[in-house]
Amino acid sequence: MILSAEFAWIIPGLAVIAFCITSLFGKNLPYKGIFLPIAAALLGFIFFCLIFVDFISTGFNPTSVSIDWIVIDNWSITWGFAIDEISILMLGLVTFISLLVQIYSVGYMSGDSRISWYFAVHALFAGAMLALVLADNLLFLYFCWELVGLGSYLLIGFWFEKKAASEAAKKAFITTRLGDVGLLIGIILLFKATGTFHIPSIIHAAQNGAIPESTLMWSSLLLFLGAMGKSAQFPFHVWLPDAMEGPTPVSALIHAATMVVAGVYLIARMLPLLEIVPGFLTLVATVGLFTFLFAGIIALVMTDIKKVLAYSTISHLGLMVLTLGAGGLAAAMFHLVVHGFSKALLFLGAGSVMHGMNGETDCWKMGGLRRNMSVTGVTFLVGCLSLAGIVPLSGFFSKDEMLLSIHEGLGPIFLFITLAGVFLSSLYMIRLFCVIFIGEPRSEGAKNSHESPRVMTYPLVILAVFGTVLGVLALPLPLGDFEGLGNFIDSKHHFHLSPWITPLSLLIALSGLVIGYMCYGYHKISHHLVALRFGYLYKLTVSKFYIDEIYQWIIDKIVLSAARFISIFDRVVVNDTGVDGIGVSVLLSAFKVRLIQTGKLYNYAAAMGIGIFFMAVMWILASN
Amino acid sequence: MELIYFQLLAAILFCIGIYGVLARRSAVLILMSIELMLNAVNINLIGYAAFSSFGSAHRNLGQVLVIFIITIAAAELALAMAIILRLYRNKNNVNVDELDILKG
Repeated sequence: MILSAEFAWIIPGLAVIAFCITSLFGKNLPYKGIFLPIAAALLGFIFFCLIFVDFISTGFNPTSVSIDWIVIDNWSITWGFAIDEISILMLGLVTFISLLVQIYSVGYMSGDSRISWYFAVHALFAGAMLALVLADNLLFLYFCWELVGLGSYLLIGFWFEKKAASEAAKKAFITTRLGDVGLLIGIILLFKATGTFHIPSIIHAAQNGAIPESTLMWSSLLLFLGAMGKSAQFPFHVWLPDAMEGPTPVSALIHAATMVVAGVYLIARMLPLLEIVPGFLTLVATVGLFTFLFAGIIALVMTDIKKVLAYSTISHLGLMVLTLGAGGLAAAMFHLVVHGFSKALLFLGAGSVMHGMNGETDCWKMGGLRRNMSVTGVTFLVGCLSLAGIVPLSGFFSKDEMLLSIHEGLGPIFLFITLAGVFLSSLYMIRLFCVIFIGEPRSEGAKNSHESPRVMTYPLVILAVFGTVLGVLALPLPLGDFEGLGNFIDSKHHFHLSPWITPLSLLIALSGLVIGYMCYGYHKISHHLVALRFGYLYKLTVSKFYIDEIYQWIIDKIVLSAARFISIFDRVVVNDTGVDGIGVSVLLSAFKVRLIQTGKLYNYAAAMGIGIFFMAVMWILASN
Repeated sequence: MELIYFQLLAAILFCIGIYGVLARRSAVLILMSIELMLNAVNINLIGYAAFSSFGSAHRNLGQVLVIFIITIAAAELALAMAIILRLYRNKNNVNVDELDILKG
């Protein structure tokens, strides 16, 4: 049976059903109900395969299905799912990664008391992301966008007994919320201008000039703001490293398949709209480029294994945004997939290392782990080299396509700065690998480390294999009219290698590897001396350029003082005068008015008499 | 005899009644003053019935009305006396100056 694309909504639907059942009845089910989300993910992946086969066999026809939600006269808001090249790519990535991460979590989370809740939220998180990539209108996309935010909040704060975890969850939620508000306003602006939430209609209207230029500019800016928040672009990147407080498989899921790539996906989806605003893509590219370098530099000095990976994710997201800014839709989406696989592999590997080291995350307390943890070590190396962009691994191909797109779209200046980032990327990757897996054990824990159970290592191996061979998809293979993944995503894109960019980028990546190995593996260059020589720079970098401190200062001095002023205003003006004032004035006047009730009979009689007298007088006057 | 004498008598009686209601302190005397006011009204009605230029049907109506008022006044007086008796049993007092428990 071939499932046609109209039934794509089943995939997120399954995840949501799994969430409902497991979260409500998980504790009473056998194995605490964790098999339900896994089954949903597995079925989702199978359905994806069927839909994918159908999609190819029907000749890449974008299909969509929608139901009416709100109907007012002949105008309606719909819930719609659409399948096209980008969404089917994302569908595959999300279902596959979330399936592997869930299988891995069975080993990693075993023994946790709230394991059924963990798996339930996992399903919700993946389901929200799946619905997000399938959504064909902005309103539905926004709902899923917020659900993804909720899922990340619940999972990052999964161990909420730890203060740091609950703080990190709040930080992630609030920081992305800043962008989300922008996104919502942008969507409303677009809706106001076009009267529809349907993405292709909006883009069509924009291309035909039906949207005023200023509206288009503001809404583009606000949509990009939302994407920046979700994809942790500078200056919204602060939440992502803190999100490491969640369980490691969650980090893998957040960094690889869901959450952070939502922003990149949004930019990719709305790229035809953003292109229309003159000069806007250069802004996008500049933000991406800055984030790429900025996070790469910080990743170079972090000592926590997960923090290094977090900054590496920020850096690579920056690279994707940069590529989108260069108009390289195909290259960016390709790298999104490749990075998803590699980063999932690295995070699951990091989780395996932590599992073997009893929760230790400081990589200077590790060292020499390759002896005890050979599978983890080899797969980790594959992930590192792939992200560093070394030749036959998939990262090489995606990076190459991106560099080509950047060169074509933005010119040589952007290209050369990007190459510096490529150098950083390979340097911090090899540093991480060398410090953890090479050399002598630097602690008792490292000496006594042990390999993780098979339920954890098998997903690593699968991801490593995919991370290796996925790059081949970039090449035009002799399969029908398949001209490489880039062409599949964007029919204008054609695979080609540049005679000078490709060798140059490879050379730079390799030099990064060699220098990194000399420094951290072979100890020919002392990194301590480098740190001493550039003391101030080193200190600045280790403290992450004081961005968190600056935000803290802004919050303490500006936001909180403003809040204090508003709270005083609320207490004095709104509460005491506005709300209490009415009650108090009624009370006071009642104290005055009650005195007319004397209780003396003759007073009442007099009042009656006087009243009748006046009524009589008035009656007489009126009748004359 | 003219209508004006009846009206004057009724007005005087009514004013005496009002004065009694306002000035007396004893509940029984206030009740009697109310009866004076009622009777002032009755005299007024009788006077109009006797001297107006209406037809005989309407004249009879005024006298009937007076009989009604006398009946109702008797019933009302019985009720009021019962209240005053209960008041006396409970408070040992019918001075309305001291009966001000409804004071606000």
